[in-house]
Amino acid sequence: MADETIKNDEVNRRQFFMKLGLGSLSIAAAGTAAFSYQYLEPNVLFEPSPVVNAGKPDRYPLDSVTLDVNSGIYIVHSQEGYFSLSAVCTHLGCLTAWKPELNMIACPCHGSKFEQSGKKIEGPAPKPLPWKRIWLNDDGDLLVDRSTDVQAQARDSFVRV
Amino acid sequence: MSDSKDFTAGVDSNAKKSPRRIVFITRRTSAQVKAETEDQVQTFPEVLFRAAVAVMTLAVVLVWIALMFNAPLEGLADPSHTPNPAKAPWYFLGLQEMLHYFPPVVAGVLVPGLVVMALIVIPYFKVNIEADGLFLKDRQLRLRIFYVGASALSLFLLLFKVYAALVPTLIMAGVMLVAAQSSPQSSSAFRRYLAARPLSYWVMTWFLFELVVLTAIGTFFRGAGWAFVWPWLG
Amino acid sequence: MAKTVDQYFDDLRGTRVWRSIFRSGTGSSTLKRALAIQQNVFLHLFSTKVRTRMLSFSATWYLGTLTLGTFLILVATGIPLMFYYHPSVPQAYADTKDLQFVVSSGLFLRNLHRWSAHAMVFLVFAHMFKVFYRGAYRTPREFNWVIGVILLLMTLLLSYTGYLLPWDQLAYWAITVGSNIASAVPVMGEKIHFLLLGGNAVNANALLRFYVLHCMILPLAAMFFVAIHFWRIRKDGGLYSHDSEPAALRANVATDAAPTKEAQ
Repeated sequence: MADETIKNDEVNRRQFFMKLGLGSLSIAAAGTAAFSYQYLEPNVLFEPSPVVNAGKPDRYPLDSVTLDVNSGIYIVHSQEGYFSLSAVCTHLGCLTAWKPELNMIACPCHGSKFEQSGKKIEGPAPKPLPWKRIWLNDDGDLLVDRSTDVQAQARDSFVRV
Repeated sequence: MSDSKDFTAGVDSNAKKSPRRIVFITRRTSAQVKAETEDQVQTFPEVLFRAAVAVMTLAVVLVWIALMFNAPLEGLADPSHTPNPAKAPWYFLGLQEMLHYFPPVVAGVLVPGLVVMALIVIPYFKVNIEADGLFLKDRQLRLRIFYVGASALSLFLLLFKVYAALVPTLIMAGVMLVAAQSSPQSSSAFRRYLAARPLSYWVMTWFLFELVVLTAIGTFFRGAGWAFVWPWLG
Repeated sequence: MAKTVDQYFDDLRGTRVWRSIFRSGTGSSTLKRALAIQQNVFLHLFSTKVRTRMLSFSATWYLGTLTLGTFLILVATGIPLMFYYHPSVPQAYADTKDLQFVVSSGLFLRNLHRWSAHAMVFLVFAHMFKVFYRGAYRTPREFNWVIGVILLLMTLLLSYTGYLLPWDQLAYWAITVGSNIASAVPVMGEKIHFLLLGGNAVNANALLRFYVLHCMILPLAAMFFVAIHFWRIRKDGGLYSHDSEPAALRANVATDAAPTKEAQ
């Protein structure tokens, strides 16, 4: 009888320490995982700003589509005003090109074709070319924010000068 | 007389083809050289858990130090501006201290090269396999050799004004003299201990002493222009 | 009755997936414990049983184990540090500053890496002296001692190559001084200096070479020699303990450095 209680005690003590050990190990592991994830996510990016200065509006004649290859955007001057399209094909990320003779934007990689408004004509691209936020700054320059999408053809998606 | 059951006899099976061989096997021995049997334990858990505890303790200590003290970082590398003093990492400071006295060929190449070769050769030296105390045999002769060797080394160091290395050498020589005056019958345990130390011990301890002293001087007692400074002054 | 957590774990351990990964698993039987060592690709470098004398702390102070521990910490901190470090000039310095000020836990990782490096150099020296003073370098362990000296040199080289990577004044001039010592080697000195730096001065080539040495070549070489070192311990009869040695060897060799203390 006394032996059994002593035995129970020993088992409980071992179990206690096992639980204590495994518990602290799990907490340490969870903490390490959390800190490791935080470590791997950069806090500071050394990439160029998404905001692009496209210059004065009078650089872009009416009914023109101008591609800026360095920033990957089109500045389009249509009847309703100025707007900006992303030049990055929505299929797999190739840089598209404006074909004035065909009056369309074409992607050289897999043959996707888009209208001037970004709408897809044909090809494997799943979505139309997104419109990017465009506005005039205090100096009268056109600025485009590539990280912000705006609704196609919406009133506020145009800049009217 | 020995136990009559100390050996057993066996006979080769094919007695017709081969001559009879009778084998006498003394009990508790075998034809093979066998290491002594002694208590053994399982690697898992005994060894692994001990190692785990040791490494975890080490990790805790190092993590605590890492949380408390920052690793040094000075200004951007500037080839046009040498800081004064320009010190090597601490484990090379003993070497850099010696560079102060001897040309780079000696202090930078010869001495480290000889040290490494000496280290490698240590276990192959059959000079004193019995590890007897240095002065317990041929005492007079060995004492004479010791006097010549210690004086030559000390004179050489004195000549080149390598006081940093001279002082430990003199201290070790002093301790070796005490060992020479001691024997296994000496009064104090320390002197008995010294008397039993073989030559390899003295050489290695001298080397360890020099290593510690030269590194300490290079770390704490050398300032701008490798001038001698007292660390507690500025 | 609801199952306890332990019972769920037991069920998990009985599943086919678990048993296909952990074939023998742990347990308290002698067989299970032996299999845990013998069937593990990393652990079967050890033997399944060791002599009790080898567990003695006062014999070795576990310095060899601790040295390996610092090495593991260095690898575990060094690899994450590589994610934010560009080995180019002067980007390396900017990256070191970024690690300290901008990257989450970057300061901690760098500190831990630096102090573990110092600790490893210290421990490897201490381990060497301890092995010498207890006479564990003698026959049949001579070659293992030589492997140990090689590992000592490797540790110093790892520390030296890593020292340059932050590309600060401390690093630049320490390595300049060190490589100029290398050029003092007679006959081949200048050539060695040129090859080591990939040029005539400590510049971008030197940084890249030291980076490759520090992160790839030397760690792989060190792990290679550590494996041999451990294997030799096992094949030479386990950790040295005077009373554990075969009688034939013991008869001729008296206890070396500290007879009363080290003989267990």
